[in-house]
Amino acid sequence: MNYPESVSKLIESLSKLPGVGPKTAERLALHIATKMKEEDALNFAKSLLNVKRELMKCPICGNLTDKNPCSVCRDNTRDRSIIAVVEEVRDLIAMEKMKEYRGMYHVLNGAISPINGIGPQDINLPTLLERLKNEEVKEIIMATNTTIEGESTAMYIAKLLEKTGIKVTRIARGLPVGGGLEYADEVTLLKAIEGRREFK
Amino acid sequence: MDIKSLSLLNFRNYSHLDIKFSNKLNIFIGNNAQGKTTLLESIYLLAISKSHKTSKDKDLIKFNESYSKVCTVLKKSDLELKLEIIISNQGKKVSINNVEKKKISEYIGTFNVVMFAPEDLDIVKRDPINRRKFLDIEIGQTSSIYIHNLNQYNKILKQRNEYLKSTQINKTIDFPYLDILTEQLAIYAEKILNKRIEFIKKLNVYANKIHEHISNYHEKLYLEYISSFSRDLSKLNLNQIIEVYKKNYNTDLLKGSTQMGIHRDDFRLFVNDIDVSIFGSQGQQRTTALAIKLSLIDFIKDETNFYPIVLLDDVLSELDDLRQSQLLDCIQEKVQTFVTTTNISGIKKEIIDKSDIFFIENGNIINKKEGGNFDKQ
Ligand SMILES: [Zn+2]
Repeated sequence: MNYPESVSKLIESLSKLPGVGPKTAERLALHIATKMKEEDALNFAKSLLNVKRELMKCPICGNLTDKNPCSVCRDNTRDRSIIAVVEEVRDLIAMEKMKEYRGMYHVLNGAISPINGIGPQDINLPTLLERLKNEEVKEIIMATNTTIEGESTAMYIAKLLEKTGIKVTRIARGLPVGGGLEYADEVTLLKAIEGRREFK
Repeated sequence: MDIKSLSLLNFRNYSHLDIKFSNKLNIFIGNNAQGKTTLLESIYLLAISKSHKTSKDKDLIKFNESYSKVCTVLKKSDLELKLEIIISNQGKKVSINNVEKKKISEYIGTFNVVMFAPEDLDIVKRDPINRRKFLDIEIGQTSSIYIHNLNQYNKILKQRNEYLKSTQINKTIDFPYLDILTEQLAIYAEKILNKRIEFIKKLNVYANKIHEHISNYHEKLYLEYISSFSRDLSKLNLNQIIEVYKKNYNTDLLKGSTQMGIHRDDFRLFVNDIDVSIFGSQGQQRTTALAIKLSLIDFIKDETNFYPIVLLDDVLSELDDLRQSQLLDCIQEKVQTFVTTTNISGIKKEIIDKSDIFFIENGNIINKKEGGNFDKQ
């Protein structure tokens, strides 16, 4: 005997989620069908629709938001003279968790990577250049990843901004905080030496 | 530096093997296809993390098995180190003293090897790719930063080539982006270039001394690095490399790939000022190959403070008496050596007497003869 069609369809939908195999999907579907309260199921269905229907990319910074503009862009207590450029929304969330950074953001939605078919024109860059014309920005922090692609993207944007007179900085990389030198591998040590700075 | 034991599980034709070593000189004797070379291959793998025979790790897993494991205990001055490599469908795991190393660059270099194999002649005789592979493996053995730089270079090269190709389809070129890819490529090219030039410089000193000796002071060997950027190596700094690339934008864009760089470089070998790859006799080419391989023993000792393990795959009996003696001089009593051969008749008695001899048949050790031990003398 097969499951009723409604259950089979639910199994099929659940198995489209990352990390969920057919066995897990079956278990989850049966849980929803037999154990879950109708009210919870309704809320679940609503949230699924809401994230798809009500969420959008913030037209200013590219952050994921349900309001236009996003909560960061709307917050008047934040420092508008500084923008941190990140690759993905999750990088923005990671920076926010730190609770120390009070500047603005710009989400590129990726890094330039020709082998993945992403050229310079395919990242969320035009809106950043537009912002710089209108807003009073003094510093851009390039907070893209330290991969080759993150590095070329940072260097590329820095080059485009060369003539604007805006200060462009790059996040530091090197030794983990609290780590002894003897535990660092040679490449990390080298990066730490290359990125050294003067005591002020 | 000595290998104390070696154990193999599901490695090529070996189901399970444990060997202990107590001698400096060790000979594996057996007919062809019995698994002698596989023993050297496993030692090479433990040092370099790659086989010298295949680029596909899965080839190393015994037929019908799901994983393969090689393990060695080695003595490095007062330290005992256990190295282990596991190869399965999920990939390769390397560990030192049961601690897994996530980055290969943290593993390579724990101990070094110099492998002598019949293919060494390719370094002298064949395409530049053989010489570049030689440079990258031997420098990489002693410098994890070189391996890192090389990996970064190759990643950028791939992106740059892909971008060059994409401009042919899209018919637009973003020059600021091409500049950035070029700058990034040049940064790593310069580091790799400097390291290679320094390596060739050091090798020149060691190799020439050895070559002079083998040739009875009739011949002088000289190695010259050939850069695709410029003939004049002294003029190659970062800015100049970037300039050379920029002058070649048109060619690169037309071809859809990067025409110049350390991936196109080479080195030439001169004996008495004659290019031995093209004009050398068979004997001169053999001597040259032997000299550069032997010079690695001194190079590695100088770079790391430890002698490498020497692996001689089917080459010892091919060498004449003079070259065998020369080899023995270089190895002296300090370098642990593993030899494979089908027949001991071509090997000097002096070497045989001092060696532990293992008889290999069909993936097993069927007999062992202990030789005089240097340590005990
Ligand atoms: Zn926003």
